Amino acid sequence: MKKIYHNPVGESKYTGFLFVLPFLAGFLIFGIYPFIVSFLLSLTDYSMNGKPEFTGLENFKRLVTDSDFHKAVGVTLKYIILLVPLKLIVSLGTALLLSMNIRGMGFFRTIYYIPSILGSNISVAIMWSFLFTSDGLVNQILDKLGIMPVSWYGESTPAIFMIVLLRVWEFGSTMIIFLSALNDIPRELYDSARVDGAGKIRTFFSITLPMLRNVIFVNLVMQTITAFQEFNAPFMITGGNPMKNTYTVSMLIYDEAFRYYDIGYANAVSWVLFTLTALFILMLFRFTKKFRAGDV
Amino acid sequence: MNYIKHGRIFLIISTLFSFFIMTSCGQAEETAVLPDGKLDKCTLRFSWWGGDDRHEATLKAIELWNKKYPDIKIEPEYGGWDGWTEKLNTQVSGDTAPDIMQINYDWLINLSKDGLGFYDLNLLSDYIDLSGYDSETLSFGMRGDKLNALTVSMSGRGLFFNKDTYAEIGAEIPDTWNDLISLGEKFSQYEKYPLDLDTQTGASAWYLSVVYVQQLTGKQFITMTGDLGFTADDIKTALDFYKSLEDNHIVRSVRKRAEDDGSSALYQSPKFIDGTVSGVLEWGSAVGKYQAVLADDTLCAGKYLSSDNGNSSGWMIKPSLMYAISDNTKYPDEAGAFINFLLNDEECAEILGTSRGIPANGKAYEALDKSGKLCGISYDSDEYLRAVDPVTLSPYFELSQLKEYYNSAIEKVSYGTATSEEASEEMYEKVKKYLERIK
Repeated sequence: MKKIYHNPVGESKYTGFLFVLPFLAGFLIFGIYPFIVSFLLSLTDYSMNGKPEFTGLENFKRLVTDSDFHKAVGVTLKYIILLVPLKLIVSLGTALLLSMNIRGMGFFRTIYYIPSILGSNISVAIMWSFLFTSDGLVNQILDKLGIMPVSWYGESTPAIFMIVLLRVWEFGSTMIIFLSALNDIPRELYDSARVDGAGKIRTFFSITLPMLRNVIFVNLVMQTITAFQEFNAPFMITGGNPMKNTYTVSMLIYDEAFRYYDIGYANAVSWVLFTLTALFILMLFRFTKKFRAGDV
Repeated sequence: MNYIKHGRIFLIISTLFSFFIMTSCGQAEETAVLPDGKLDKCTLRFSWWGGDDRHEATLKAIELWNKKYPDIKIEPEYGGWDGWTEKLNTQVSGDTAPDIMQINYDWLINLSKDGLGFYDLNLLSDYIDLSGYDSETLSFGMRGDKLNALTVSMSGRGLFFNKDTYAEIGAEIPDTWNDLISLGEKFSQYEKYPLDLDTQTGASAWYLSVVYVQQLTGKQFITMTGDLGFTADDIKTALDFYKSLEDNHIVRSVRKRAEDDGSSALYQSPKFIDGTVSGVLEWGSAVGKYQAVLADDTLCAGKYLSSDNGNSSGWMIKPSLMYAISDNTKYPDEAGAFINFLLNDEECAEILGTSRGIPANGKAYEALDKSGKLCGISYDSDEYLRAVDPVTLSPYFELSQLKEYYNSAIEKVSYGTATSEEASEEMYEKVKKYLERIK
């Protein structure tokens, strides 16, 4: 017998479909449609004005010899490697502190989350850019501490680190996920560990960390995907400088599309970025299989 | 069987979908609305970029328009230069461009290759009085036989100096290249710089180096038809000249500049505001924003530098700003009337002053002259420019991709990651290839 839906607004085999229609329509128009258009455009020579001209795989072939693209991929990977582990460590560390049962903890949790609310704000990026100039606050503090001022904008590693610091500062969302997972760990485990004489460090590595492994993985995947798409911070703070050493793949896509009007090539780069991200995440799944299963 | 049937349906749907997608990209082949010979009640969007001085003047001009033509409301859309090209380009491509736009000279190459990207202003001769223009100035806005844009001002990129700092350290405003180079020693004693050149969107570092080599060789870097006029050796000379400016303490190195200012524009830099950096190379039409951050009468226009034997060629002039009407406007008559107001109306000319440079339109120029408003550093710079018989800047010179090549070469030489020979050869190949591709 065919199953029909029972609901307060009437019975029809299409009722359920109608309920999901707004989402489906949005997903098709704003998700699937641009996705397909982007792929088709990547096979064309298109400059926004006029009609796209089919050029097959020319744009993808160009990627092989484009030194800017190679550099942007290198910068993006370097950024991910610097940012993601650091952000996870800082988030987890702060979550551990904020999971302590002391008075006024709600206040501290709110305070620590504020940077994440401000994080995507352009004005914060502008403020950040002023903090790190040669006479900026950061160098003034370093000077007071007797440390040599750093050429944040002039050298590649400090420049990329400046952006990493901004993103690490916005650790709130990752921290909240850790905090919620920490609260879900049964207290009995800690009690029995204490009875068995385990210290805090042993408890952390033998109970907390193993119990958090799936959450760590979720945060790892989410932060990696976000880092692959990084655009705002380097665009606003360094403009990709010095010598394109903070020039990410997303910035290249933007420049090709909106500054050089090479829409076909920009879309080809977008697809390669998408593929790289997917491969990277697949690798993460594969290499962390044992860790997630609790075998290590 | 079912599988085959579904496969066919999928194939048909995806083919139709792909066809729909491909045909929906690109410009719609719509016919522009023709003028109907009357001014209807409507609202028009007018967009421009600039500094606060230009914004304030333009908003006042719009107020005046609203008093004179209360039925035609103007909605202003304005902002700073950063990102403006990208924004407008997206609007034009997406058929959401404002009715009236302030545009740049080189945009005509990308946005209206065949003259169909903007409204043909020849059709609006009932509304726009072109008698204030000579034929050469009008020709800058022509694409084929279509008049796509009207020049607001002709402007050159001139030198402007903080005369207080110069006086403070007892330095003379330079007249020749050698005068400029000799300033380095004195300025270095005070840890100041006589000039600033950038490798940002303005690419002024490359611009000045090109002027130097053009004066030296008599060649034009890029011709009006988009051919590369320099050889790799000429480019090397330009890069060497730039490096000599850094080495002689005339300008900050790319690295020092980045450390001091981050990615901020010079007029937002504390180093410029406090006089540590005491000069800038800027378009006469855009110098207002530098003037605005300094005390009154601090900035002065410098002469266009010449060789010791008095050769002052090589400097360039261009239509610094233009007005165009969207080819999608529903109100061409009204948009034409508004452009005419901006360009020819005496009162409006007085309000706008020199916020967009010295007017190219003879009537606006006369109005400013009569009211004694033809003054200030923009005007002084314009006068100096006309004395050196400038060449017209190629519209290809300022294309974004080319600026990227210029800046990249300058940075490599500045950071020492490439010799001037290596950087010049790379730049020569890239510029040549790109020009061949887009012409």
